[in-house]
Amino acid sequence: MRLLALTASLLLSQPAWALDPATLVDTAIDAHVLPGFAALTEATGTLKNTAAQDCASDSSALRTAYHQGFDAWMAVSHLRFGPTEEGERAFSMAFWPDTKGFTPKALSRLIAAEDSAAVDEEAFAEVSIAAHGFFALEFLLYDDRIQTLGSDAYRCTLIQAVTNDIDRNATEILNDWQNGYADLMRTPSEDGPYTTDLAAVAELFKALDTGLQFNADARLGRPLGTFDKPRPLRAEARRSERSLQNISVSLEALEQLAALMAAQTPSQADGLTAAFSLTLGQATELENDPAFAGVSDIQGRLRVEILQQYIGNIRDIVLQELGPALDVSAGFNALDGD
Amino acid sequence: MVTRRRMLAGLAAASLLPRAGWSSVGTPNYLSAARAPDGTYLLAGLTSIGDITFTIPLPARGHAAAAHPERAEAVAFARRPGTFALVLDCRDGAIINTLTAPEGRHFYGHGTFSTDGNTLFTSENSYEVGEGVIGLWDVTQNYTRIGEFSSGGIGPHDLKLLPDGQTLVVANGGIETHPDMGRSKLNIPVMEPNLSYLSTNGTPLEQVTLPPALHKNSIRHLAVRPDGLVAFAMQWQGPKTEAPPLLGLHRRNATVDLLTATEQAHRAMQGYAGSVAISGDGHFAAITSPRGNLAQVFDIKTGALIVSHKLDDVCGIGPAQTGFFLTTGTGLVGRIRAEKREHPLQWDNHLIAIAPQA
Repeated sequence: MRLLALTASLLLSQPAWALDPATLVDTAIDAHVLPGFAALTEATGTLKNTAAQDCASDSSALRTAYHQGFDAWMAVSHLRFGPTEEGERAFSMAFWPDTKGFTPKALSRLIAAEDSAAVDEEAFAEVSIAAHGFFALEFLLYDDRIQTLGSDAYRCTLIQAVTNDIDRNATEILNDWQNGYADLMRTPSEDGPYTTDLAAVAELFKALDTGLQFNADARLGRPLGTFDKPRPLRAEARRSERSLQNISVSLEALEQLAALMAAQTPSQADGLTAAFSLTLGQATELENDPAFAGVSDIQGRLRVEILQQYIGNIRDIVLQELGPALDVSAGFNALDGD
Repeated sequence: MVTRRRMLAGLAAASLLPRAGWSSVGTPNYLSAARAPDGTYLLAGLTSIGDITFTIPLPARGHAAAAHPERAEAVAFARRPGTFALVLDCRDGAIINTLTAPEGRHFYGHGTFSTDGNTLFTSENSYEVGEGVIGLWDVTQNYTRIGEFSSGGIGPHDLKLLPDGQTLVVANGGIETHPDMGRSKLNIPVMEPNLSYLSTNGTPLEQVTLPPALHKNSIRHLAVRPDGLVAFAMQWQGPKTEAPPLLGLHRRNATVDLLTATEQAHRAMQGYAGSVAISGDGHFAAITSPRGNLAQVFDIKTGALIVSHKLDDVCGIGPAQTGFFLTTGTGLVGRIRAEKREHPLQWDNHLIAIAPQA
């Protein structure tokens, strides 16, 4: 018994890579990355087919397919490396925040000119990136002005062009993962993007951290603005009232990734499970305020701020406990990014 | 920890001392911010052999500093998106002034003095419109804000005065951020960094951009040679599968020269150059990568990579007489390929050279 305890304590005090980074990378790819992108192509395929049959902006079938597709994107949107970073694919899926209003401008321009790019997949791939993806589709389905601009026939064509492009994009990302990038992560080499297994772990770790950060700083921080100047109109996807939904889906995906990353370090895993559970519970407190309109009043604002704070608590565990346990804590300067 | 009370006490003390030159604080060659083992932050003076000549507390993590050309006076900037900077008397840490960014502006963490030390220029974000500005502060009037002008782009970071004393060179990194969103980057697909030359009263003189394929190579940090040659360091925001050059040279009215090495050498820097310097003899330019744990030295004349120096979490770099002086986040200071001194401090990103006293 004593020997067992001693062995256990020795194991615990081992440097982290008594752990097995290659297995960690494998399971994250097999249980999180590949299924996530496969689910995305399934949802975007349905979205494309639905739009092909019914492209009215108030079509309930189309709106349902939009929400399912957007959910599927949110579940992988934190995986911002490799295939999603080729050719601006991630931005092409979701151009947000759009601080200068490029999306409505680009759509208005296409509609006003009845630009023929909408009928040619290759030509459409070349139009402004802001006219692509889920946020362009949201404008076409939910924005009062864009929804009634120009002719019904052209907007129908444009909706089909956007959904085709989303599906093409999702399919390319999945193909790249399946036919190359997953292997590059699993088998580090001097000439590849990852020279060691630990570098691949660090990439996944960074995706986890920046995913959390984006939820706290951008998805919640933007509408919160300051106490004196709340900015409810800056909430992500507020037109289709999915600002909260985006965060919930993203957090659930990040919870899965965090659990996989912490699979070999049980004490960090327990802390993360508790912190995610608290955070997702707080998100349900906001169900009556799906687009964070409440940031302008004291009670509503407090609920959103608490959610932001809980996400910050998860990040603290990730950066201060999980990172060191995985031996991927970047240096003082390496993390600075300026 | 610097409490507000201690800061105010320091403020009161400031008025008791006449202003003095850098020799009054042990004639440091460089300034650097650092983190102490107890988690507090400080600004230190360092000599060219790695001795610490003074340390004074900072209320939060610093980024870069600006050294007054004559007086032992430093401006310490908070990390972006900070809205204040402290003017410090380096003899005792007294706060001579606190610079507060005007409404709707925040500092990027860099600043530079005019040759006579009477004006301070700071890089700032006018964040509601997402445009870069250079703020002007009158040093002779207790650092009063006296104006601002366009930086010539988005996300101005480092800025330096050219040797003519009348031209500013600004690294417009091209990346839009908003303080509501922390450090999230808002415009990567459409970013366009540039190097802008401006007169000290804001007249645009020349602007240099990178080839379109490199529009995601954010120009961040600068070093200037006494003859006006500018070295600039970049941070790659594009796909990790690409490894472009991270160091460029430019001279007014000439074309940009990007210093290339083997793909493997570029890749080793992890797409990230944190600081840049030109050697004291003017022959070499060097960039550091805390992510790649590497300093790379290029021969300016031939453009060739001549030294790759491995060093954990290296970032701060400044000129030494014939080479370079480095600092790391692990506490080391010293010359390339020489024994390093170790201090129980985590040296922050930038080493600021203090102009030699006349």
